[in-house]
Amino acid sequence: MPIKSVKAAYLILCLLIAPAISVGAFSADTARAKSVKPIRVGLTAVVVRENLRFLDQWSRYLSKKIGLPVEFVRRRSYREVMDLLDSGQLEFAWICGFPFVQKREPEFIKLLAVPVYDGKPLYHSFIIVHKDSPYQNLDDLKGKSFAFSDPESNSGYLFPQFLLAMKGEKSENFFRSTFFTYNHAETVEAVAEQFADGAAVDSYIWEYLQHYNPSLAEKTRVIQQSPPFGFPPLVYRIGVDQDIVRRMKTVLLEMSGNMAGRHFLDGLKLDRFGNFSPRLFDGILDMSLRTRKVVPEISSTMKVTAN
Amino acid sequence: MKLPFIRSRGLSVKFALAITAVVAGVAFTIGAVTITLDWQRFQRELEDRALLFAHSVAITAPEAILRNDYWFLFKSLKKISAKAPEKVKTAPIITGMVLDPTGKVLAHLHPSKNPLGLRLRNANKTEERLTKTALSVVSPAVLEGDYLNVGFVEGVAPIYSDEVLLGVVRIRLSREELYLKAQRSTFIVFGITLALVVLGSLLGAAISQRITSPLTTMAEGMEAVGRGEYSNVAPVQVHQDDELGDLAQTFNKMAEDLADKKQLEEQMTVSEKLVALGRITAGVAHEVNNPLAGLINLIDTLKNHPGDMLLMARYVPQLEKGLNRIKGIVQSLLIELRVEEAQDSNDPSFLEDVKEIVEAEIDNRNINFIWENHLNDNIRLNGRRVQQVVHNLLKNAIQAIPVNGTVSFLCFQDGDCVVIEVSDNGPGIPPEIRSQLFDPFFTTKPNGTGLGLWIVYRLVESMRGVIEVESEVGSGTVFQVTLPANESTHYEDNSQHGHAATG
Repeated sequence: MPIKSVKAAYLILCLLIAPAISVGAFSADTARAKSVKPIRVGLTAVVVRENLRFLDQWSRYLSKKIGLPVEFVRRRSYREVMDLLDSGQLEFAWICGFPFVQKREPEFIKLLAVPVYDGKPLYHSFIIVHKDSPYQNLDDLKGKSFAFSDPESNSGYLFPQFLLAMKGEKSENFFRSTFFTYNHAETVEAVAEQFADGAAVDSYIWEYLQHYNPSLAEKTRVIQQSPPFGFPPLVYRIGVDQDIVRRMKTVLLEMSGNMAGRHFLDGLKLDRFGNFSPRLFDGILDMSLRTRKVVPEISSTMKVTAN
Repeated sequence: MKLPFIRSRGLSVKFALAITAVVAGVAFTIGAVTITLDWQRFQRELEDRALLFAHSVAITAPEAILRNDYWFLFKSLKKISAKAPEKVKTAPIITGMVLDPTGKVLAHLHPSKNPLGLRLRNANKTEERLTKTALSVVSPAVLEGDYLNVGFVEGVAPIYSDEVLLGVVRIRLSREELYLKAQRSTFIVFGITLALVVLGSLLGAAISQRITSPLTTMAEGMEAVGRGEYSNVAPVQVHQDDELGDLAQTFNKMAEDLADKKQLEEQMTVSEKLVALGRITAGVAHEVNNPLAGLINLIDTLKNHPGDMLLMARYVPQLEKGLNRIKGIVQSLLIELRVEEAQDSNDPSFLEDVKEIVEAEIDNRNINFIWENHLNDNIRLNGRRVQQVVHNLLKNAIQAIPVNGTVSFLCFQDGDCVVIEVSDNGPGIPPEIRSQLFDPFFTTKPNGTGLGLWIVYRLVESMRGVIEVESEVGSGTVFQVTLPANESTHYEDNSQHGHAATG
C-alpha cells in the first residue's frame, strides 16, 4: 500500500491545492445538487488496487485541474464498466486492452491516453506459480487449478487462453479448476496462498506488489512472460463534450509536469500518461482473433463481431 | 503461628476449624458448580460461534458456488479466520472448508494440503467419518473431535439453493480457548475460595475466641472453686448481651455467693473451735479445780494443826487420792502422748484379755454378755489401743444397760478391714446429745469424767479407723469401729482425716 508516500505527499498536496479546496467543496456540493454533472471515470480493481484515499485525492486533483467535479466509479469487472460506458453512465474509463480492441457496433469509445510504465506504454502478462511449486511451464499446470483475473482482461485471461488455444486446448479441459478473482493483486494472493496452482497476472501489478507488498509477491514465481502489449488505456465515450475530453486529456498528459501530479503518478508507479495511437493494441487484437478461432465463446457475451 | 485461638486448646480451635471447614466446603461447592457451569457456557458459546461462522459462510456461498467463484469462497473463509481487532473475540479457527456434495474441495483454509477441485484428503478414519457425517447433515449441526489433546468443535452448515444441496461449510474451532477460559475461571474461583477460607478461619477464630474466652475464664474459675480457692475467682468480663453474657453474670454471682459462704463457714468453724476449746477448758478447770479446792482446805487444816498426827493420818490419804484423780485426768487428756510409745503389733488373742476384765467387772450382775471373736490369728492389730477401745466401749455398754440387759461383742474381718461391733439393748442415746458424744468431759453419768468416748475416738483416729454409732431410743446402741488390718500404723494426730458419724 502506498500509504507512506501518500501521507508524505499529502501535506505538500494540501499546501498546493489549499486555495482550491473551496473549488473541491463546491464541486462536491454541486455534484450533489446535480446542477453541474460530474465527470465520471470508470475503474476496476484489475487496474488500480483499492485505495479510497488515494482515489479521492486524485479525483480532487483532477477536479481542480479540470474545473469540473470528477468522480471515480468503481466496478468489479470490465464488463460492468463497459456496460456503463455504453449506456452513457460514464464519461471516461480506465479499461484493458482486450475490451478496447473488441469491435462494437456502433463503437462507443475512443482512446484518451495510455499510461507510460517503465518508460514504455507497454506491459506483459505473467504466468505465475507458487515459488515452492515444481511447475516450470504452462504444460506442467495441466490438471491443476488456475486463477484468472477478469474474463475480459488481456493479461489475466486472454493471454493464457491464447497460449492454450495455440496448443489446441481449452482452459476448462486443460485445468482441473479455474476461477476469476477480478483483481490482479488477489490473483497473486491466490497463488501465494496455493489456493491456485497457477495464474495469469498483469506484469505491472505484479511488479507494483513487489514494491508495495513484497511478502505476497515473493511467494510467487514467473514461469512465462508474454510479449509486450499496449498498457491498459484510458478511454472516453463518444459523445462526451469534446472540450471536456480535451481538458481531461491535457490534465492527464500534464500530470508529470507538476508536483502534485507526479505524486499521484508515483503512487501508481507510472511515469506519465501519454498520447498514443490505437495501433498500440494491435498485438492484443491479433491475439484475440487467433484465440477466438479455437475458443469462439471467448467474450461471446459482448456485443462484438469478429473482424 | 502463635495465634491465641490455636494456643487455647479445645473448643476455640474446633470452632474455628468447623467454620473454616464449612466455609471451605461451601466455597468449593459453589466454585465447582461455577466452573462446571462456566465450562458448559464456554462450550455452548464455542458451538454457537462455530455454527455462526459456518452459517455466515454458507449464507453467501450459493451464488459463488453456482458461478464457480471459488476465490470468493476462499476469501469468505479467510475473512472469518482473519485476526480480529483486540477487543473482538477472536476465533481459534483450526480449519475451515467448503465442500461440494461429493466431498470435493471448493475452498479450504489450508489450500496447499487440500487442493481445489479434489476430494478432501482425510487424515484418518475419524476424519473420514466426520466428513461423511458433515456431508450428510441437512441442517446446521455441531460435530466434535480430537485435536492436539484439547479437541475441537466443528460447525457444519449445508449450502442450499432452491432446495438443491450445493455443498457444505465446515468451520472447526479449537477448544483450547475453552480450556484457557476454564483454567482462568478455575484460578479465579480457587483464589476466591482460598480468600474465603482464610476469611472464614479468621472469622471462626474471632467468633470462637469471643465465645470461648469467657468460657475458659469460667472454667478456670470453677477449677479454682473446686480447689477451694474462692478468693482466686476473677470475675468474668461481661462483654455481650447474649446468653454468654448472662452465663458470665450468673457465674460471677455464683462465685461471689460461694466466696461469702466459704467465709461464713470459716467463721463458724473458728467459733465452733472456740466453743469446743472453751468446753474443754471449762471441763479441765472444773475437774481439776474441784478436788484442788478440797485438797487446799486439807492442807490449810494441816497447817493450822501442825503435829496433829491424827489429822495427818486422816488427810494425807485423802490428799493422795485427790492428787491421783487429778493425775488421772491429766493423763487421760494426754492419751496420745501415752499411746505414742505403744507401737506393738499383736495377734487377736489379746482381745481375750479384755473379755476376762469385762467378765470380772460384770461380776455377779445379771447381764447377758455375748463374745464373738472371728478374727484369724494372722491378723495384726495394735493390741494396747484396740484393747483400750474395746474396753471403754464395753464398759459404757455395761453401765448403760438395765438389769437383764444384753451386751455383745462382735469382731470379724471384712476385706482389708477389721470390724468391731459393740452393741447393747440399753435405753439408747437421745438425738440431741449425739453430736456431743465424743466431746471431752461430756458425760451423762454422775461420776463420769466424760473422757471415755473421747479417748476411744482419738484412738480410732490414730489408727486411721472410723467409728460409727447407731442408736435408737428405747432399743439400744451399736458402736461400730472399722480399722485397717495388717497395716503399720501411724500415730500422728490425724483428727482432720478421721470421721465420726453419728446417727
